[in-house]
Amino acid sequence: MKIFTCIKYVPDTSEAEIKLNPEGTEVDSSRFSFDINDADNYAVEESVLIKEKYGGNVTVVSIGPKESDVMIRMAMAKGCDNAIRIEDERIASHDPLMVARVLAGAIKDQEFDLVLTGCMANDYGQATTGVALAEILGVPHAAYVKKVEIEDGKVKAYRELEGGLMEVVEINLPAVLTIQTGINEPRYAPIRGIRQAQKKELKVVNLDDLGIAEGDVNAEASQITLEKLYIPVVESKAEIIEGEPEEKAEKLASILVKGGLV
Amino acid sequence: MRGMKMTTENQTFAEKFDLLGCIQCGRCTGGCPVTVRTNLNVRRFVYDAYNEDLLDELSRMAEIWDCTGCHTCAVRCPKGLKPLEVLIGLRSLVVESGKTQPTVRDALESTFMEGNPWEKPRATRGDWMEGLDVKIAQPDQSVENLFFVCCTIAYDPRVKIVAQNMVRLLEKAGVDYAFLGEDESCCGSEVFTLGEDGLFEMIVEDNTELLNEYQAKRIVALSPHCFTTFKTHYPDLNKPVLHYTQLLAELLEQEKLVFKNGLAKKIVFHDPCYLGKQSGVFDEPRRLLKAIEGVELVEFNRARERSLCCEGGGGKMWVESESKIERLAETRIKDARALEADIVAVACPFCVLTLEDAVKALGYEEEMRVAEIMELLGELDGAQDKSNSA
Amino acid sequence: MGNVLVLAEHRRGELRDITFEMLSLAPSLAKDLGGEVMVLLLGNDLDQMAEKIAGYGVKVLVVDDPLFADYNSDKYQKVISALIDDYKPKLVMLGQTAQGVDLAPALAVEKKLPFVADVVGLEVEDGVLKATRQLYSGKVNAQIAFKPADTYLVTIREAAFEAPEPAAAGTIEKLDSPLKEDLDYRKFVEYIEAEVGDVDITQSEILVGIGRGLKEDKNLPIAEELAEVIKADLCGSRAACDAGWLPSDRQVGTSGKTVKPKLYLCMGISGAFQHVAGIKGAKTIVAINKDPNAPIFAEADYAIIDDLHKVVPKLTEKLKELKG
Repeated sequence: MKIFTCIKYVPDTSEAEIKLNPEGTEVDSSRFSFDINDADNYAVEESVLIKEKYGGNVTVVSIGPKESDVMIRMAMAKGCDNAIRIEDERIASHDPLMVARVLAGAIKDQEFDLVLTGCMANDYGQATTGVALAEILGVPHAAYVKKVEIEDGKVKAYRELEGGLMEVVEINLPAVLTIQTGINEPRYAPIRGIRQAQKKELKVVNLDDLGIAEGDVNAEASQITLEKLYIPVVESKAEIIEGEPEEKAEKLASILVKGGLV
Repeated sequence: MRGMKMTTENQTFAEKFDLLGCIQCGRCTGGCPVTVRTNLNVRRFVYDAYNEDLLDELSRMAEIWDCTGCHTCAVRCPKGLKPLEVLIGLRSLVVESGKTQPTVRDALESTFMEGNPWEKPRATRGDWMEGLDVKIAQPDQSVENLFFVCCTIAYDPRVKIVAQNMVRLLEKAGVDYAFLGEDESCCGSEVFTLGEDGLFEMIVEDNTELLNEYQAKRIVALSPHCFTTFKTHYPDLNKPVLHYTQLLAELLEQEKLVFKNGLAKKIVFHDPCYLGKQSGVFDEPRRLLKAIEGVELVEFNRARERSLCCEGGGGKMWVESESKIERLAETRIKDARALEADIVAVACPFCVLTLEDAVKALGYEEEMRVAEIMELLGELDGAQDKSNSA
Repeated sequence: MGNVLVLAEHRRGELRDITFEMLSLAPSLAKDLGGEVMVLLLGNDLDQMAEKIAGYGVKVLVVDDPLFADYNSDKYQKVISALIDDYKPKLVMLGQTAQGVDLAPALAVEKKLPFVADVVGLEVEDGVLKATRQLYSGKVNAQIAFKPADTYLVTIREAAFEAPEPAAAGTIEKLDSPLKEDLDYRKFVEYIEAEVGDVDITQSEILVGIGRGLKEDKNLPIAEELAEVIKADLCGSRAACDAGWLPSDRQVGTSGKTVKPKLYLCMGISGAFQHVAGIKGAKTIVAINKDPNAPIFAEADYAIIDDLHKVVPKLTEKLKELKG
């Protein structure tokens, strides 16, 4: 199996307060930690599990800054064989269709059986790139995959639907799968492994190296414009219970009991 | 690599941990505090680990994660061995295979990426300083006391008061000091006991380089874990390391430490394993407590070298035992209750967290409290009285 | 003509809510764009569903063919693609669902359509179509404008809009399938139901929900003890189930269960839309979270902004006292 796994370096915003620049065009990420996107981490693990079972090799593809090399090395320490990092300011990163074009540009001329991506990114949450990538590469796909079985040039993909239902589809290889979190338990990349992974090939390329015309993937090429970002006002109808922790607990307990809610 | 565990690949497990030096006397298991809760039998592991064929099987046994790194076994070993390091060696096999528990994985990844095991951004390490005018160390300026805060104190809202009160106290006592600020990075204590050798080596190298750069007379660690880790595992550090209780005891002697108020409470001091049995600092914290007017200092039966571990170390913050038997912290708090202590004083952030949990679990919040010594000293200085005892 | 083409979503003979939710915003958009609403219903044995949709006063285009007996994104794509050529709608609208996510991006690429996914707001402003979507789990909103094109494509977030009441009778038009042969590269195999555990949370009267804020499994007793006192069942966010704190059949949200308890008391759940969509049916929602900006507070009836580890044990204690 020749596998490509696409990963993204994203900020962890789960606990932090988010601030925007005054123009409302960018998020101030100076106080965030960055790491591999959750679902992509599962995609890396799945690609390594597939490689361990069926043989082959895994190439990591990522669009991102130099700082994300550490994430790529970690993926290599887990068993991915080589990597391509695309760094180019000209890419319209707000539009997943442009991102998919760039990824396709890095993959299309190479032989592959499977391309794995995370099903959704923690930051933009569009759940678009992987399926768009499949269409550009001209291969079948399945999204939200939570179990993979491969045999006879086909892949059985278990897609997670709403309500806990799974839809099993059989698609021909080569194919693109977008991987849902929880499909496996991502392993730890020990530092010795990361150090050894320094020997593996990590190619850093830009659009020109990939033979992608700037005008195909830049803000001009994108058919959408990101006009502004803003912090939504949380419109709460909630009664906010105030006080010291103990008082809050006491007030809530009384509301629940007196209101007949418990 | 003086003082450090050798990690050459051609060394066998038995050579690495000097397993043949063991006489199987069993004092390690006999003294091990967690045996009352779990099946861990460290003597048995030292014996079995001699058989290389068994290592894989041994590394898969859940008990290897029960060790709290308290070092009682090492303190008691008549041959000077460190039986617990055999367990850490087995943990290393698991870590190197990548198949760690997710909580351990996340703590280690966070330490690698962000310099702390708590999955907090590196950029917010200095947030505890908000509202305080803290002197930050500069490599080209000499300073007498260079402070090392600790990840837990820097990030955990419950214990950051230790650092905050320290700053206030230093300013008041006119001590020449500086903190590292956001440049500070995990000492690796928990990384070491979780068995991530490679990461620990990297941390030791990086921290040694960082700390050696500063023109400081000495390093003062707020947590006994950082303190002991620096002392034991940083052979190339170019300055001595103190625990803050040692510095304060010194100030006390020089009469630079004056407490405005007294505290009419019965206090029992819990010796943190990393401060007491691992580094021999027993008297300084007691001297500080005794210096407070009105304090009646009492002692646990199991005090000093025999202090009962709170189960906070050894990476246990990220590994839960399956045991349903009473936690050692609860045993400890019951002992304190039997002594009718108002306050269990500690000098370690992990002990605060585990013992306070135990107070809550036992429902003793009305009767007693757990406090870091720095918390108490801050209150004596006119900060709000947090005592909630009668 | 500025028609709006909505793809009806159904599974195992039932129309899904998203179909009607899209019908709440399609009419005004069609009006602004100068056209009408058309709903594409694609499948097999569709008469009843077609009637039901027509009851919302829209034109229903029905492609009823055994080829579509089971859902298949690729077959759907072929049909929608052909209908875009035939009908030239100004706007095509799908749900941001497991179905829509598997289909819309490929359609956008194939037909070179400007595409915005997971839209929570959509309007025409000075002749320009503008979409609102959320970033960073709802902590930031983005306003996105479409550049002029013949046809735009959006996917609409589930539960972001309220389904309207049925209106006047619409029309039903049956079309021949543009796709004549089955595809050989993607085949539907089967549906697999999630294993039902000991508790069916969709039937629970009181639920205690836990999220990432619980931090680790050793804190589970905090929630368990509260649940015991108020006779609630435990459920969780995706994060809580992924972490293994709860089995996956306790997961609430778009990829888990949709619940409708009398009381939903959640702690350490930020309220990502995937989760919130699953609790729309809850009568009373109590949220405990230390982040004042957590989107869950927009859903809550009662809010406590504080550390759950401090508040919940006390709450359990007080409830124990009050309930004797």
